[in-house]
Amino acid sequence: MPDPLISLVVAGLLMGLSALIFWPEKGLLARWQNNRQITHRILGEDALKHIHKCDIKGRRPTMESIAGSLHIGTNETAVLINELQSQNLVQVVDGDIHLTLQGRDSALHIIRAHRLWERYLAEETGYSEADWHGQAERFEHQLSADELDVLAAQLNYPTHDPHGDPIPSASGEMVAHGGQPLTALPLDAPGQIVHLEDEPPMVYAQLIAEGLHVGMPVRVTEVTAERIRFWANGDEHILAPIFANNISVVALPEAPPQPEVESASLNDLQPGEAAEVLSISPNCRGMERRRFLDLGILPGTIIQAEMHSPGGGTTAYIIRGALIALREQQANYIKIKRQQPEVAV
Amino acid sequence: MTTYTPNMNEMGSGTAVPPSPTPQTDILRTAETLRWQIGQNFHEQLMEDIYTEAARIADRAVTRPNEKPRFDLDRTIDRIVTSRIWGFPLMVLLFTVVFWLTISGANIPSGWLSALLLDTVHPLLKAGAAAIHMPWWLSGLLIDGMYLATAWVVSVMLPPMAIFFPLFTLLEDFGYLPRVAFNLDNVFRKSGAHGKQALSMMMGFGCNAAGVVATRVIDSPRERLIAIITNNFALCNGRWPTQILIATLFIGGLVPAYLAGLVSALAVVSIAVLGVLLSFALSWGLSRSILKGEVSTFSLELPPYRPPRVWQTIYTSVIDRTLIVLWRAVTFALPAGAIIWLMANVTIGGTSIAEYLINFLNPLGLLIGLNGVILVAYIVAIPANEIVIPTILMLTVLVTGITGVGAGAGVMFDMNGSAMKGLLDTGGWTLLTAVNLMLFSLIHNPCSTTIYTIYKETGSKKWTLIASLLPVAMGFIVTFLVAQVWRLVTG
Amino acid sequence: MTTSNKINSHTASECATCPAHHAGNLLKLGVDMSDFDYVVALAGNPNVGKSTVFNALTGLRQHTGNWPGKTVARAEGGFSYGDGRYKIVDLPGTYSLLSTSKDEEVARDFILFGQPDVTIIVVDATRLERNLNLVLQVLEITDRAVIALNLIDEAKRHGLEVDERRLARDLGVPVVPMAARQGEGIAELLQAVHEVTTGQTVCKPHRVKSESTAVRHALDKLVQQLLAQFPSLPNARWVALRLLDGDQRIVEAVCSGEIDDLISQEPVQRPEDLLITLEAA
Repeated sequence: MPDPLISLVVAGLLMGLSALIFWPEKGLLARWQNNRQITHRILGEDALKHIHKCDIKGRRPTMESIAGSLHIGTNETAVLINELQSQNLVQVVDGDIHLTLQGRDSALHIIRAHRLWERYLAEETGYSEADWHGQAERFEHQLSADELDVLAAQLNYPTHDPHGDPIPSASGEMVAHGGQPLTALPLDAPGQIVHLEDEPPMVYAQLIAEGLHVGMPVRVTEVTAERIRFWANGDEHILAPIFANNISVVALPEAPPQPEVESASLNDLQPGEAAEVLSISPNCRGMERRRFLDLGILPGTIIQAEMHSPGGGTTAYIIRGALIALREQQANYIKIKRQQPEVAV
Repeated sequence: MTTYTPNMNEMGSGTAVPPSPTPQTDILRTAETLRWQIGQNFHEQLMEDIYTEAARIADRAVTRPNEKPRFDLDRTIDRIVTSRIWGFPLMVLLFTVVFWLTISGANIPSGWLSALLLDTVHPLLKAGAAAIHMPWWLSGLLIDGMYLATAWVVSVMLPPMAIFFPLFTLLEDFGYLPRVAFNLDNVFRKSGAHGKQALSMMMGFGCNAAGVVATRVIDSPRERLIAIITNNFALCNGRWPTQILIATLFIGGLVPAYLAGLVSALAVVSIAVLGVLLSFALSWGLSRSILKGEVSTFSLELPPYRPPRVWQTIYTSVIDRTLIVLWRAVTFALPAGAIIWLMANVTIGGTSIAEYLINFLNPLGLLIGLNGVILVAYIVAIPANEIVIPTILMLTVLVTGITGVGAGAGVMFDMNGSAMKGLLDTGGWTLLTAVNLMLFSLIHNPCSTTIYTIYKETGSKKWTLIASLLPVAMGFIVTFLVAQVWRLVTG
Repeated sequence: MTTSNKINSHTASECATCPAHHAGNLLKLGVDMSDFDYVVALAGNPNVGKSTVFNALTGLRQHTGNWPGKTVARAEGGFSYGDGRYKIVDLPGTYSLLSTSKDEEVARDFILFGQPDVTIIVVDATRLERNLNLVLQVLEITDRAVIALNLIDEAKRHGLEVDERRLARDLGVPVVPMAARQGEGIAELLQAVHEVTTGQTVCKPHRVKSESTAVRHALDKLVQQLLAQFPSLPNARWVALRLLDGDQRIVEAVCSGEIDDLISQEPVQRPEDLLITLEAA
């Protein structure tokens, strides 16, 4: 029989060691796998993607910009570009770097993979928004064209990723969102968010934190050099222009009839009160959103709160004749307009 | 990247579209182009159109009463069973009654069955085998091994299930169970689980395999997996007897006789409560680690109350749940009985396989405060926890070489309390062994019936493996820690 | 296990007005589904008494818990009525057929590709609006359906009055009020099923019009193209809708031409004089 103290210490060390190795995402094994994935091929593909992005944005890709976006040295970049050139993926003419037709196909494939994967994560998994981009950056290099076709079919051939970026079709077709930056929207004109830029991650995180999503109606009420004040889906937001510029909007043809009011969510209903659904937050997606639709929760539906769970956190509502319990967090997705003016308690 | 002036309609060379366009692919191409035009919320528009139309048609066909009915039975019942004051006490009361009926009601038929199958039929079969001069190994394998293990499982398992499941089903048919899920949802939400897990857990107290099947009502993938993986921590019918027996012998024995019953009951209940707490903790951990990527949704419909049809319910729940579960248990008990008998009777160099195994596992067993006999018993008792105690007794006799006890190598048997305590003491058991056995009985792999059911329900080898190995790893860790700390404290 | 317990069409003695009065006896065949002439699909929302109807027709005792979504697997049984033998398939209870959950896929695929001779849609009379959502979706796919307006007793208790004739006219398919738990309306349901399968009743199911002009335009274009390729496709509009929604299964079916097979089994056209107009039913 070993001494209990020694065996405790040994076991503690063993468990600590295995945690160090096997811990998801931060463990040694996970890091090793991660590092292993940044291979030469991936660097090449990332470079193609960068050049394509520059093309679209009308900027000139340079050795320096490529080196910067891939986090590698300029010498290494030069070698990389040479290799891409010998594979007939890029052409360097007078110091200008261009994609060949073949190179653009490769770039579009990577973009398609990235955006489809983000769409997949948003619709079919439980990962949170902050995780999407990072995961897609990894998986975009691992999916073959055939796998992408299967994925697209499984996702019902989506046209846009969750940030509002168009997903190139298998044949390379892509219609861009055609939006303008939020700052360019005239004051008090109705608009709709069509795209949220997910890079840099820090700015994107701020946009998510504000609860902004593609599809939300917006109306700008104030623009100054320091800040832009606007309503989005019944909530007022104030952002610095640098943040607001990462939001793309399109102008809507006609003004919504009612003036913006701070809308209530289903959570604000007390048992016995009824309200009409205005919208379901775009933040609610995938299976959860489909479930709502199935249950008959749609704009215009009348919902009456019936009773709170004695444990709290969950409330039962009468929705189209059925008694259905929803959690607080879900009820928050549902914006409502109260049926009768509030009765003083 | 302040301005974004996208390049419209980029074209690349196609890869997916077949080279020779057929009318069919033409149609698909048209659909693809149109998809860009109709906008992203097409699906929702469609649903809206249908629901609007449904509302219009329903409105025309239904005449509603002008005034609200003064008395709505459903709402009244709901107001009571989900009230802040009465909701929880009512729930506790109802389930106490269900469990009390199950436990006290099952004792009698269990006694009859074991008297019939174990004390009457078994000797008869042995006599019959002897009369037709069946070789000893064949009658041992068939009657002492396979028959006895199966009979044991049936007599312990059948009566409680035949009482518990119909009662449970009656509550279900009435419509009460969704209200329980509603009442308890908050606790489960905080641990990342679904309110309906309360019910699969409750069902798990009857039988884990049935509990796993009951998770079907959870329609969210992540929460359903959580409910399946943690169901094992609901102390099932097959394990209650072990807990009660060990608690009575070892823990009840620590206090004066008049307190013994109370203390041992408390010990068993705290094990059951520990199981519930563990399943909350594990739910919490799972939803934040390996199950993070699974889709999570919540919807809980509270259906109208309907008077249950008692006889049909009893009939269907016996057919649906009890017999199916029992059948699966029997198919696993048969080979297990054969293996137990063979292990005790096949000898290599004068030592049985069982003894080899026990000696091999003994150091590990002692390290975690158990012993080799217990570990071997748990390995061979994977098919059904009911046979753990008889197997332990048989193996202890085999190892200690005591004569005059039991019915021969490989034959499981039962005995009365004080004699059993004496036998186990001879086998080197201490209070630590007893406590750790109780812990290990709660925290170990699910029985093979449950494992098989998990595989059937999830259709995934990965989740089946996790659901099977995670608890047993936890069991080893918990018993190990308890053993070391115990030894440190007691010197 | 064949449980063939012959019972008289139970209302025969008590209800001479029953349409089933003279229309032959129900023979519950349990799991015996050999040599069937017709296939009947049983669809409906969760918890509307679908399994009760199934059990009443087949004499089987499928468990019917008071839980939404209890029937997870597809159950099958048989019965014979008049001179026809029927195989009946109990589909999982769903709220919708559009959201591609596993259950919905099973139900949708069976109604479309299983080509039942008639689909019974069980609806809860107390929550008609919610239930009609599924009904309308089923009617988009198939034009041979019967509505079993179940729990009519519960509706009465709540003071609701459902005008089933109006409903039948609006939906374009027969509607049979019933209280399946009490066994009321089973005979009428069988008669309606019999009439639809034999073509005595021809359904003209209601189809939902889209509110959006863009969608209508897109649909018209696609329907035109579909009909050019598959001229007798009975539910071209629905197929077009599914293509626009990107439904993988339908895309495959169009691509492989499988959708064409669905047409060949259309029932033979029946002489007009056999029609029983629904208003008169």
